[in-house]
Amino acid sequence: MEILTASTGSYPRIGDRPEQQRHRQAYAQHERGEIFDEEFKRVQDEVTREVIEEQLRAGLDVVTDGQVRWHDPISHFTRKLEGCEIDGLLRFFDTNFYFRQPVIKGKLVRRESISEHEFTFAKEVSSKPVKPVVTGPYTLAKLSINRRSGDFQSLVDEFAGVISQEVRELAKAGAELIQIDESAILKNLSDFQVFERAIQKVVTEKGKARVALYTYFGDAAPLYQKLLKLPMDVLGLDFTYSPKLPDTIARLGCDKDLGLGLIDGRNTKLEREKQVLDVLKLILPVIKSKRVYLNPSCGLGDYLPREIAFKKLQNMVSIAEKAGGLT
Amino acid sequence: MMRKKLECLGLKLPLLPTTTVGSFPKPPYILEARRKFAAKGLSAEELKKLEERVTREWISLQEGIGLDVLVDGEMYRGDMATYFANNLDGFEISGLVRSYGNRYYRKPIITGEVKWQGPITVDWWRFTQGLTSKPVKGMITGPYTMMDWSFNEYYPSRREACLALAKALHEEVKALAKAGAKIIQVDEPAISARPEELPEFAIEAMKIVTEGVDAYFITHICYGAFEFIYPEMLKLPVDNFDLEMSNSELDLVELFRKHPFGKDLSFGVVDVHSHVVEDAATVEQRIRRALDVLKPEQLWIDPDCGLKTRTQEEAVNKLKAMVEATRKVKGLKNNYNGRQ
Ligand SMILES: [Zn+2]
Repeated sequence: MEILTASTGSYPRIGDRPEQQRHRQAYAQHERGEIFDEEFKRVQDEVTREVIEEQLRAGLDVVTDGQVRWHDPISHFTRKLEGCEIDGLLRFFDTNFYFRQPVIKGKLVRRESISEHEFTFAKEVSSKPVKPVVTGPYTLAKLSINRRSGDFQSLVDEFAGVISQEVRELAKAGAELIQIDESAILKNLSDFQVFERAIQKVVTEKGKARVALYTYFGDAAPLYQKLLKLPMDVLGLDFTYSPKLPDTIARLGCDKDLGLGLIDGRNTKLEREKQVLDVLKLILPVIKSKRVYLNPSCGLGDYLPREIAFKKLQNMVSIAEKAGGLT
Repeated sequence: MMRKKLECLGLKLPLLPTTTVGSFPKPPYILEARRKFAAKGLSAEELKKLEERVTREWISLQEGIGLDVLVDGEMYRGDMATYFANNLDGFEISGLVRSYGNRYYRKPIITGEVKWQGPITVDWWRFTQGLTSKPVKGMITGPYTMMDWSFNEYYPSRREACLALAKALHEEVKALAKAGAKIIQVDEPAISARPEELPEFAIEAMKIVTEGVDAYFITHICYGAFEFIYPEMLKLPVDNFDLEMSNSELDLVELFRKHPFGKDLSFGVVDVHSHVVEDAATVEQRIRRALDVLKPEQLWIDPDCGLKTRTQEEAVNKLKAMVEATRKVKGLKNNYNGRQ
């Protein structure tokens, strides 16, 4: 059994040190019209390089681009769609982070590719595999305001169309593993059929890539068995909400790769090694696949200060090294 | 409804009392002074002098507008959670965390046992009440919001962190009441974050904060999601709920029609997120809608939330429209100077 360490998504784009303010300054200047798009993009490139380097320095096996270019996980994917406008701020799940809510007014058509160039840039500057992350169609639909005629199901289907295009392009661009974030399903179990259909559609486009389905900010234990039956390759789970999850996995087993969100991405407190190893001891023996990922419970970028994010990842890598001895 | 309690406390308020949620915009000279203070270019005493000056200005503005229940305007506070964290034992302050877009803030971290070291807001309350004969609200950030907006490195669960905060804040509430505050507002903007925690411990926490203290309690709740906590939230042991009504997608009045609102309500009638100043007629309509489902004895009139993000001019004009509309509803003349 191979234990790989991975990022779960975003990484803090600014820090507390003076030289880590560049992104914030450029963002403000860009907003005020003092710098052009190209200059802002240059800063985003630079900061992307920097956060990839930081993840590598922490010792991760799989990194992300830190989502440095994202406004938030929802509006990042809806900004470039026809049939959709961006509205006011809304709390992102139960976090202290806010996203801009999309208002759907017509048929959704993707005007241009969203993730491919971001992935291509990151891949070129990273010495380890880069995992692109996309927000899933169900979550995009669920967190939008639907102001057009037509039901929720058709909205999810259209978002599934958009995200399928993204996945197809990412796979073609050489992504080995593509992560789809679908946290909204955890608290809306009755929508499972609609959700399932959307995931099936997206996974069809994966080509040679492997697909990871991640959920967080909720208890996945009640859904665990149903999630496992979906056609993805990796299932990512947030353990911070779910005291019963380790037992559930130990009892029901697992025939997929798992993404183990045992590192709390929303608390500054560093994990105690023993606490994480105890859970691994319980669940690793029942996993039939040959690989698991140890990763934070969610992206760190919107929840932790940069300095703590780095320490969390370092701590995670050191725990993973110890865990190697368990297998 | 709770008017009896107000009377027992010696407060004679008119029907449909007008008030505000707490914060006002900081004028440029205060922003500048805070910057200088942070850069160590201004002493604490000099800053405090300016804060007292601006608090005086806000009191006379509120009196001029004709508001019935006043606030100190929170000129001396930065973030509403960090301010209390800085003044309680058991907290540190984190590095920068993103809240949206290009906005970052420093978040409190609970690193030890949370304890009340001594009065936090009492001196400011006493100073402000000394400037006016109108009642001034005591204002604190509630235990649930303090917990939800902090990293918790110390307590084993959110519940335990919240209840420890409640015990510490109870001391502050007692000190406010002892100083003479008769109306105390406990801000809980985050209380709808995890609706399941309301019965699990948020109500219990509010009970700890308010229990045995002889005051009229208001709780301010915002950021929506009321549909998930109503009517359960009525169990919070307070006398008055201060809710955002004008900026709500959800029609709360309809919700109250289905399940009657049994306490007093401070009804947010002007939108604090919009630059547009509502005209009195629009505000009047909102008040009349509230009166469809609430008795006049239950109703207070205020803005949706703190006005700190508006300009001073916008804030004052919104409040003027609110007071004018309230008078119209009560059948009073407009050029009336606010005394009853
Ligand atoms: Zn508010």
